[in-house]
Amino acid sequence: MKVQYKAKRNLLQTILQVEILQGLALTLRKLFSRPITRQYPDEKPPMYAGFRGQHALVRDPLTNASKCIGCMRCATVCPSRCIHIKTHPGDSGQRLIDQYAIDVLRCVFCGYCVEVCPVGAITMTEVFEYASYDREAIYFDQEILLANWDRFLEQTGYDDTYVNPFWRPRGTLESRLAAAMRRDVPADWTIEGQFVGTKVRQPPASKPITDTEAAHA
Amino acid sequence: MTKTTTLDVQVADGADDKYRLKMGPQHPATHGVLRVDLELDGETIDKCDPQVGYLHRGFEKLAEHRTYAQNIVLTDRLDYIAAMANNVGYCVAVEKLLAIDVPPRAQFIRVMVCEMARISSHLLWLATHALDIGAMTVFLYCFREREVLLELFAELCGSRLTNTYTRLGGVRQDVTHSIMLKLQRFVDEFPDHIAEYETLIDTNRIWLKRTIGIGPISADKAVDLCLTGPSLRGSGVDYDIRQHVPYAAYDQMDFEVPVGETGDTYARYRCRMEEFRQSNNILRQCIERMPPGPILGKDAPDLIMPAKPGRKIEFDAVAGNALIKLIDNRDLYMEGDVYVATEVPKGELGFYFISDGMGRPYRMHIRSPSFLHIGALATIGQGVMIADLIAIIGTLDVVLGECDR
Amino acid sequence: MQILILLLQIAMVMAIVLLHVAYLTYFERKIIGHMQVRMGPMRVGWHGLLQPIADGIKSFFKEDIIPQQADKPLFLAAPIICLVTMLAALAVLPFAEGWVLADINIGLLFIFAMSSLASYGIILAGWASNSKYTFLGGMRSMAQVISYEIPMGLSLVGVMMLSGSLNLSEIVAAQGTSIFSIYLFPQIIGFFVFFIAMLAETNRVPFDLPEAETELVSGYITEYSGMRYAMFFMAEYIGMMILASIGTVCFLGGWNGPFVIPFFPPFWFILKVYGFLFVFIWIRATLPRYRYDQLMAIGWKLLIPLALLNIFLTGLFKALVH
Repeated sequence: MKVQYKAKRNLLQTILQVEILQGLALTLRKLFSRPITRQYPDEKPPMYAGFRGQHALVRDPLTNASKCIGCMRCATVCPSRCIHIKTHPGDSGQRLIDQYAIDVLRCVFCGYCVEVCPVGAITMTEVFEYASYDREAIYFDQEILLANWDRFLEQTGYDDTYVNPFWRPRGTLESRLAAAMRRDVPADWTIEGQFVGTKVRQPPASKPITDTEAAHA
Repeated sequence: MTKTTTLDVQVADGADDKYRLKMGPQHPATHGVLRVDLELDGETIDKCDPQVGYLHRGFEKLAEHRTYAQNIVLTDRLDYIAAMANNVGYCVAVEKLLAIDVPPRAQFIRVMVCEMARISSHLLWLATHALDIGAMTVFLYCFREREVLLELFAELCGSRLTNTYTRLGGVRQDVTHSIMLKLQRFVDEFPDHIAEYETLIDTNRIWLKRTIGIGPISADKAVDLCLTGPSLRGSGVDYDIRQHVPYAAYDQMDFEVPVGETGDTYARYRCRMEEFRQSNNILRQCIERMPPGPILGKDAPDLIMPAKPGRKIEFDAVAGNALIKLIDNRDLYMEGDVYVATEVPKGELGFYFISDGMGRPYRMHIRSPSFLHIGALATIGQGVMIADLIAIIGTLDVVLGECDR
Repeated sequence: MQILILLLQIAMVMAIVLLHVAYLTYFERKIIGHMQVRMGPMRVGWHGLLQPIADGIKSFFKEDIIPQQADKPLFLAAPIICLVTMLAALAVLPFAEGWVLADINIGLLFIFAMSSLASYGIILAGWASNSKYTFLGGMRSMAQVISYEIPMGLSLVGVMMLSGSLNLSEIVAAQGTSIFSIYLFPQIIGFFVFFIAMLAETNRVPFDLPEAETELVSGYITEYSGMRYAMFFMAEYIGMMILASIGTVCFLGGWNGPFVIPFFPPFWFILKVYGFLFVFIWIRATLPRYRYDQLMAIGWKLLIPLALLNIFLTGLFKALVH
């Protein structure tokens, strides 16, 4: 496809500066239109579940401690290797966490740690305002990470039913999820309720894709 | 004790009275940290010598120490203006190397995010290009639309800029109804906004004077200089990987490739403006024809890929589900090399992998369009004026993150 | 006593003009902001109304940085030259009938002389900073001012011919017999040339080459900071106001309006100047920037012939009428 140019202006348009006047008219019109500015500190940007913000360790309401089981999956998958976990074996062979720390200054906020966690212990919250003047303040150890979670729930009004789309990626089959992650999610996060293009959508879907079928598809 | 000297015009050997200006790396119009060493005769550039490397982060070396899945994160930081397109380009390449299938829905979502990235990247190009030439209102109008797209990215994958959206074998998150509704609204409104930009600059006599006939590149020369993308198409070479070597679902899309004629700044500008419309059409088709199905292939590797085939990562008892079970009995890691190019907004982004059968690339080379475009600057920028050089840098659409990697 | 009153008047004019400069920057930011679908300053005071004062205080207390390699005396003198000449030009402006500090017979020439002198400040700033960008900015400014003084002077020759005077008050008075009491219509070519030359003379978009930020970082003021930077800024805005005033006096009938406003004779004058300033800002929000050689070409190849044509036509008109 050849690119089309607009017609060259003629002499009259040159003398009357038509195209410049059109531009001026546009800017004058915009002078009276509504500004789109968001007055940031007063007006917060919209946040969506699954925003990759400040890290937090989910506080388990049953034990009042972290859900982390020390499987090291997050530390393994982390591309910037900023998660430091130290464990020791407990009485019944489980791992007990000595140290769980995230060096946020190294973090690239990819969200992989949240996605691989089999128990939904770590999350990234919708908090993004935690800049600090010193490096120590943004080196999160276990206590700070748990406190981040408490503060997040308090600020946003979520409760323990909060689900993060990284714990259960939208469009993932139930069968591919760890047992702890099979939680209630909004309808269009599941494969049955997913968005389908307007032209593809047929009134009675010829063969609705079920969970088990899609797994073998 | 310092001596107050007259202006330091370097006169070497009495014969050279060139005015040497090192433009950048801290200069408002060099789009990041490009430095151009200029030899000036008045305001005319006698010699133009672009210097790169101020944003070098060693991604190609870093990639050798990370698994294929972890490297997706690095590709965000290449061309940070269109991170989605880089993610897709990388994943297409790795999927070819590792022979991973991608389900059709994921292909469509990839095309969709690629085109969103193309629009947002071209918006930023138009914004900065217009600002370089002095039309600062276009800058803010463009950002108004770009903001909509970035917020859609944030809703889709949790991050505005460093998306890390694709996965080997698919994408990370399915689209939601709310995202598609907003995208539909954007697609419907966008042509009006393009008309707005064009009102301000398209026929403006100052804009025409600043762009027509500036930095012309003939078709042969453009091919010689390895230009790709709209910069090449502006010179009249009909080459678009999306159409000629389709990847993802581009073979099912109906779109045209705008090709200019003259190869000057204005032709490249018109090409990109036309691409806005084409990308918008592709987005509309994506919304209409998004197929149902899973977004991750059934043989897609886990995020935690073992670095060596034999190595097994131990897990706790919570395992016993497909996501955590490793695909270690599958011939996942293939030996050999592969070069796969994709069409990112700037041009041809190619990934070349050499794999020695490990879980990470033995060598990853990135053929980034910006690097070659900056190389072309030395040729194009000769004999023009400073103000034209700014326009040419703008029109080549370079991003230093991608150039220096 | 006479001198005391004069000093008081000078102080008043200066205070009013400097206040105008402060709020001109505010309105420029606001208007451009809204034209660009954003808001402009909003944080200091109600809708940012105290912003110019905050800016003034800030620049006053900022560290005064003088580059080590700079030519110090010239570097210090340059902003003062700019500001003082611009302020001096205010003396001959008639704000209303009799509201003028110095009603001299060569008013127009005096203003030209002063605004040409101000460009010395710019050139010296460019030279004395001993930086490559400022040098290029200073060079551009020198060439630009020389090229555009000529069409601007020539464009006003028509007005001088029609009014038969160089005294600004008399020019206004002479316009009473013209269409709508303004010279805009008989001198439409002259006005066109004057308007473009005015944009170029004040370094405004689309002719802001001396400080083209995307080419020369900040042109001749790259190395200046704090109060000295603010002085250049003030000089630029006073220059805008002075040229807007000349435009008002020479083409739009000065203080004459459709009806007389009691107690405040300069009302129409001020309104017209505000109109000019709005157009300055409006154009800045809309147009891209010319290239250096294109700017020269427009000055020499378009504006000067047009201005000469205007003089010829005006002369012809005068010869035919009388």
